[in-house]
Amino acid sequence: MLSHYSLRLRVLEHRLPHTLIAGLALLAAIVLAAIIIPAVSPYDPIAEDIPSMLQPPSFAHPFGTDQLGRDLLVRVAAAGRVDLALMVGVELLPFLIGTCAGLVAGYYGGWPDRIITLLSDALIAFPFYLLVAVVAFVTGTGITGIFLTFLIMGWIIFARTVKGATASLAGAEWVDSARVMGFSDASILFRQLLPNVLSQAVIVLVSDMVALLVAIVTLGYLGLGVRPPTPDWGTMIADGQSFLATRWWVSTLPGAAVVLVGIALALIGDGLNDMRRRA
Amino acid sequence: MLLVLALVTVGVFLIVRLVPGDPAQMVLGLKARPEQIADMHRRLGLDQPLWRQFTSFIATLLTTGDTGLSIAYNASSRALVLSRMPVSLWLIGCSAVLVVAISLPLAMTAALHKDGWVDQLVRIVPTITLGMPEFWVGLVFVLLFAVTLKIFPVGGVQPGIDGMLYSMALPSLTIALAQTPFIVRSLRTRILEVLGSDFVVTLRAAHLPERVIRRHVLRNALLPALQLYGMKISFLVGGTLVVEQVFGLPGVGSLLFNAITARDFPLIQAIAIYCALGVVLVSVVVEIAGGLIDYRVRGAAVGGRNRAAAGEWNSAAARGAL
Amino acid sequence: MKKTSTIRAIRTALTAATAAVLAISLAACSQTGGSTTSATGASASGDQTTFTYARSAAVSSLNLWTEITSNNAFAIDKIFEPLVSFDKNGKIIDWLAKSHQISDDGLTYTFTLRDGLKFSNGKNVTAEDAVFSLQQHQAEKDAALPLTADIASVTAPDEHTVEIKLNSPYTPLLAELANFSNGIVPKDFGGKSEADFFANPVGTGPFVVSKWDKSGDLTFTKNENYWQKGKPGISKLVYKLVEDGTQAVNQLKTGQVDGIEDPALENLDELENGNDTKVETAGSWVTHTFFFNTADEHFADVHVRRALAYALNRADVTKAVSFGHADTAKTVLPKAIEYSTQDSIKPVDNDLAKAKEEIAQSKYPDGFEAKILLASGNNAYSQAAQLLQSAAAKVGVKLDIDSVDIATFRSRFKAFDYQIMINSAQADYPDADSIIDFQADPDGFSKSYWTSYSNPEVTAELKKAQVTPDGDERADLYEKIQQTLADEVPYIPLYSPQIVKALRKNVNGLEVLPNNSVRFQDVTLG
Repeated sequence: MLSHYSLRLRVLEHRLPHTLIAGLALLAAIVLAAIIIPAVSPYDPIAEDIPSMLQPPSFAHPFGTDQLGRDLLVRVAAAGRVDLALMVGVELLPFLIGTCAGLVAGYYGGWPDRIITLLSDALIAFPFYLLVAVVAFVTGTGITGIFLTFLIMGWIIFARTVKGATASLAGAEWVDSARVMGFSDASILFRQLLPNVLSQAVIVLVSDMVALLVAIVTLGYLGLGVRPPTPDWGTMIADGQSFLATRWWVSTLPGAAVVLVGIALALIGDGLNDMRRRA
Repeated sequence: MLLVLALVTVGVFLIVRLVPGDPAQMVLGLKARPEQIADMHRRLGLDQPLWRQFTSFIATLLTTGDTGLSIAYNASSRALVLSRMPVSLWLIGCSAVLVVAISLPLAMTAALHKDGWVDQLVRIVPTITLGMPEFWVGLVFVLLFAVTLKIFPVGGVQPGIDGMLYSMALPSLTIALAQTPFIVRSLRTRILEVLGSDFVVTLRAAHLPERVIRRHVLRNALLPALQLYGMKISFLVGGTLVVEQVFGLPGVGSLLFNAITARDFPLIQAIAIYCALGVVLVSVVVEIAGGLIDYRVRGAAVGGRNRAAAGEWNSAAARGAL
Repeated sequence: MKKTSTIRAIRTALTAATAAVLAISLAACSQTGGSTTSATGASASGDQTTFTYARSAAVSSLNLWTEITSNNAFAIDKIFEPLVSFDKNGKIIDWLAKSHQISDDGLTYTFTLRDGLKFSNGKNVTAEDAVFSLQQHQAEKDAALPLTADIASVTAPDEHTVEIKLNSPYTPLLAELANFSNGIVPKDFGGKSEADFFANPVGTGPFVVSKWDKSGDLTFTKNENYWQKGKPGISKLVYKLVEDGTQAVNQLKTGQVDGIEDPALENLDELENGNDTKVETAGSWVTHTFFFNTADEHFADVHVRRALAYALNRADVTKAVSFGHADTAKTVLPKAIEYSTQDSIKPVDNDLAKAKEEIAQSKYPDGFEAKILLASGNNAYSQAAQLLQSAAAKVGVKLDIDSVDIATFRSRFKAFDYQIMINSAQADYPDADSIIDFQADPDGFSKSYWTSYSNPEVTAELKKAQVTPDGDERADLYEKIQQTLADEVPYIPLYSPQIVKALRKNVNGLEVLPNNSVRFQDVTLG
């Protein structure tokens, strides 16, 4: 019987991959900046100051100012709070639902598998932007819409990953023997199988977060993002994109923040993946 | 597969009618009088109960293969979709080729120099483009290569096949950059796993010709990447809106967005059905290609973990559409 | 050693892949050599007399009576022309008519046609064609810009004269007639069905449709029979669909297009100062405006509306969104419309002390919460809404921004399902009535632009202004109306943007019109 390693155990057993350390450090730095900068900055991320609109980066405004004269440094940091929280919050439910669906489909096969497969196939064949737009039309643009859209689409990834992993384990001898020994299905699913497939799901989760963040940014570009005046990287990049040739800082600096988070999460994902393979 | 198509067809029909917004208001403009709007509703059959609209929609679809006259463009929906299709197909095709052309050499170089500086570079550098939204990359490309250096056109489509390729260079590179990181990582991981696997050792121990071993390694490494690749392409079908907008390409993606904005029900339905058809076709092709590879690798499985690894980077494929 | 062979295998594949990349880049490069002109050269095909105009929406119909949206209107007005028109300043000028007379009682309008007028198919234009056109327009039940005067008859006393008789005087008639919707078509559509005719229209305008993709580009060729001799100066006019604004700007910079219909205001300084680009402007008939739903319990209170208007600094809004290409609006009528009191009116604007007084006098001295309805995707409106939000906060009113897509937005405000919204108010023709009637008449279908605002005095004055001949008396009426509307604040006019066209430097003679259209007949490419 394979012992069910948890992620934590492996961390103790092996030296941490350097990509993981670098990624975690970068992410920690970003989170710290998002927490500290708005707290210590003399500027309010929301209050307008028209006379100082669209100033280039300077000592007073290291990131410059936006169209309404707001300090971009404090706005990028404040948007970090919003977007990072959103990123984690939006991912959570699809992760749980997808993992459960994948476990069930992979373990039982048969009709639960067929239903879940059909549903995910239909959703994938459904034009993504149509779904995005429809949800935004019903809820109005903003966080609720973003949350719903990615709830509808997001679980598929986890379901597919976990299903594949579960199916390859479900036929294994130790699962059969567990069944013979009288373990209930629920116990086999959650006590035996889940810990074994969880690490894969977590790796997917980390890499999916980057994609989610970019997706939220793109919604901002399409005018379907977070509502003003809440600062958000997507809306900031979108608002500034028409200035790209003349006032580069308005969209490039929030964009750089997204890229940094992307790098941090990719490094973490890479490191976790290394750990899984070593185990 | 048919069931998927049916689900999408019915789903789209219901959904577009349940959201708020009225096509007549959009076509007739801000100052439309209530009589004009009522008149248009009558002409479009929007005053009928939902089941009536549905039966007549299905009847038209089955008898003519069309979903009716587009409300916003005042032309056959099918004709509109078909007229926009070539640009989208070219875009998806060029991007698909570019993804392979970039990913394969990168992944192999990295795998061959595992943990060397090339490997580190290949692992880190693509993550930078990972966090860049396509519209932003596209804008920067336009400013750099078209406006400043004047190497490529700013946007739109030039006539002729060579003109088409020329126009597709920047847009397809933009899409490819967003997709390659996933493919490269999946491929690199797989090549490494296969190279280090028992079966390669066994094959070698059996003194099989290297030629045969090579083929096995590649096939084994390609299978999961192929599935991921197929999923990525599925998402490009009808999902190239952002790149079409940024590069001014008259494709299906921007047509869909306009149709949605205008609540152009017949056109939305037409596009959704054609896209679903496209996605189904892509998955059939991928399945066949996968089957061909799988048929030859069978019996030389690398271990239970591989199948699972296939799904590993599928993750952001879903988001790859954005 | 075993490993090296595998490596070789992989190298082979690598070489193949590299070859593929090379092939693609070669294809791209050879192309680069071949047609650099299209990326950098003058206009699209190198043909010096083609003008390519970037527009954000395609032309879907050319029916001059049923269409109103600008994507169609500004194609229609190149094909069909009315008896009278307007110039850059919105002044009515004779067009297909060489002169017009209005009887003293305001009941008879007489137009004399120019000599030698021809349709694009070479046939002569007669008064019968004009009569047919106007009668057909009156009969069209889906008319988008219907003639609202009480018309008794439209007749042709002779081949060159058109006479319109009214049952009661209606001063805006002449301005209404200047609409593109009163263009002249051949009698009985030249023997074709209406649908066939509008698929391949024949008019007196400077251009003729030659190629038309309803979801893409529209190509015009010059009308060889145009009545203005020697014009138009260009032989081909292409309406090119470029949906993305930034893309259009970049195409203009590289010469892929010669002009942009709707350049974003934030790009103008760049285009004005560009080496190869310039901008042309005219005053507009548009005012971007906050509207209050006066049927809402909070905004029924005039003090609440006045408080918000006083709290807001409209000059700031203008500055933030217009980049020097708009006038701060003080009144409902834009400056380019006659009788606008923009220069003399006393607006309720930018006075925080008074704002606080007003809110104290209102039913909600301690403030309240409400929502601004906003169509998503409009950057300027989003900025303006945020400015109102912070202004309102200063008088204790907490505003949330309810941002929905444009179709939902329209459905909601037309169902009066909003509290405050931001939208554009636009005149269709150069007469004060075009705006006032739509925005202040509670009995019209628009219910004072969906504000439900009603003031019997204003209603009576606007009805009277419709029948008062142009002159001081009419000016007085509109002055009173504008002051009342400014004081009672059913809406806060924010700014009137200039009409702006971005052009290549070599484009001369483009006439920019205040309704956002342009005239191409004098255009030459230097």
